[in-house]
Amino acid sequence: MHSINILDYTLRSAQGNTKETLKAIQTGDIKVSFKNVVDYTESLEIPYFLFKEEVLEEVDSIKQAIKEIVQEISEPLTPQQRSQTALIVGTSLIDHNLLNAVIDTVYDPENKPYYSEKKSIDSFAQEIAQELGLNSFTMTINTACTSSANAVIEARNLIYAGVVDYAIVLGVEIFSQTMSNGFSSMRLLSLESQKPFDTKRDGLVLGEAIAAVLIGKEKSSWSLRGGYSNCNSFNITSVGADGEEYAEVMQEAMRLSEVGVDEICVLKAHATSTQANDLSEINAIKKLFSSDLTFTGLKPYLGHTLGACGVLELALFISCIDEGFIPKTLNHSESIIAEYVPLQEHKRCESGIFMLNYFGFGGNNTSLIIEKEFL
Amino acid sequence: MKLYVKAYSSYQGDVYDFDIKEELKSKYKLDTRRQDTFIHLAVYGAQLLKERTTLCSSDELYITSGVGNIDVLQKIHHYIGMEKEFIKPFDFINILGNTTSYYVASSLGIKDKNSFQISNHFTFLRSLISIYASLKISKKDAILGSLDLCTQPDGIIKRVLGVSEDTQILSSVNYQKLSLSSVDALAAIEFDTKTYSLQEIREILQETSLRYVVSMRCKGLDPKEETHYFETIPSSFINDAIQKKESLLYIDCFGDSYKIIKLIIS
Repeated sequence: MHSINILDYTLRSAQGNTKETLKAIQTGDIKVSFKNVVDYTESLEIPYFLFKEEVLEEVDSIKQAIKEIVQEISEPLTPQQRSQTALIVGTSLIDHNLLNAVIDTVYDPENKPYYSEKKSIDSFAQEIAQELGLNSFTMTINTACTSSANAVIEARNLIYAGVVDYAIVLGVEIFSQTMSNGFSSMRLLSLESQKPFDTKRDGLVLGEAIAAVLIGKEKSSWSLRGGYSNCNSFNITSVGADGEEYAEVMQEAMRLSEVGVDEICVLKAHATSTQANDLSEINAIKKLFSSDLTFTGLKPYLGHTLGACGVLELALFISCIDEGFIPKTLNHSESIIAEYVPLQEHKRCESGIFMLNYFGFGGNNTSLIIEKEFL
Repeated sequence: MKLYVKAYSSYQGDVYDFDIKEELKSKYKLDTRRQDTFIHLAVYGAQLLKERTTLCSSDELYITSGVGNIDVLQKIHHYIGMEKEFIKPFDFINILGNTTSYYVASSLGIKDKNSFQISNHFTFLRSLISIYASLKISKKDAILGSLDLCTQPDGIIKRVLGVSEDTQILSSVNYQKLSLSSVDALAAIEFDTKTYSLQEIREILQETSLRYVVSMRCKGLDPKEETHYFETIPSSFINDAIQKKESLLYIDCFGDSYKIIKLIIS
């Protein structure tokens, strides 16, 4: 595995921008909103990590929010560097261009006479790249909750192969009635809070996020040592309870990154707080690591941001280490496995090799290995 | 950049003149429950490829589409938007792009990288670039499935393809098994990131001895061969040329940007 560097990062979460999100984590002042979703028999009020300033579930509003983040992270780049910068998006957003075409054609053809313009879920990336003078290579990856983590690996590949010199990788997730209803119909939403690896865990809380990392070959204190993604699962929504499939992807990520188990100083777990995922993940951790491993989950601070969580949690984790600490795991009282307890207090940490796990529906499992040099 | 084609498969046609679901059940003995037409089309194309080559569990799998799964989006909009009902769990799962690639991987016994990719244009070309970049590191082989489903009314897909209302749109699925190795290759696909102007393309076409096809989008080049359209149509022309053992230049375009995909028969 060949090392590519993480040159910059930025994020927008329910807690605010990067600085505000860090402050919320440090002070424990975590804000969560509420949304109505339709369940089988009733309308439920569920906790939801929503942006402070609403981003509407429509094309123009989403594009503007994405563009602000891309503008921010691409600002230091020269025009020449921009022309060599690909834009890769990871998301599980519904394609609203296509949805509008469905509505206009099926439900409102008299008021919406035939029009046609090439549009897709990748239109956000393509249009923003053009407007900001980035390279014309854009791609949108949809592999559920691993989408933007896989987009990071995609960007690494493109740079390594010499297709582009830089890549901006975006994770994007905005409130979606469809996604909320879907998770609700699967009984995966908590009505309270996320409790990672806790015996009383009762589901996830969804969240909005737009986050970006800039990747390239230039020198940086942060490097992407490697990563691995595969598709191997017990069924479409989960792996086996023993976590064998998760362990496999974590092990392969370490092998490809030429990193040993003992070199991983902290593991950022996927930690959705669902019954099945947390059980499989803690068993996978137990298979590979001793019980003194430091591991933590970030979702209680920001929610499960689905396709965005790959880049969001990468950017947030990096920003925490840059501030000199690893965030504790909130809402944890009794661990699924007594000897394997997620981090209970913020812990000082300024450098090291870190593993970041992302697991999604469709058996799509990804682990990234990153390193911050000791300065 | 160059990728070698080890095997290929194609299916193209009106989705209503062939019962793919029944074929998957009766001929391939596959469980088609909880899936939709888009997924059936993807899995069917994959089975055609499986009949022609040996696949390995460590092959990488890429599914690309110009538009994505319209079928499930229509259904979900009807439930939530019109009927104000809850979404059925498996319809929800099927919205996710990689659900399609999951079912394809399962039917092929592939357990490695699995990516569902959409690029707004040059969709097939960009997935080729993505695969080339990945294989440079992994040294594995890759399966690329290019998939477009035309549902009824076809005005839906036409509105997001940038085509005229009288354009004939077809459902299509085309697969290639791709490798960096030339051993036992049927053909090589050559491509790059370079963008050409209309004038440059005209000069290239004047000089080439290869048969060439220009996309319906290339209005300045008087396209003739495409009587029907779908976003991943270059993948179909590549497979057709391999079958005819005929090298080919495919010219694609978006706005003023032109791209070339070259197929050289081994």
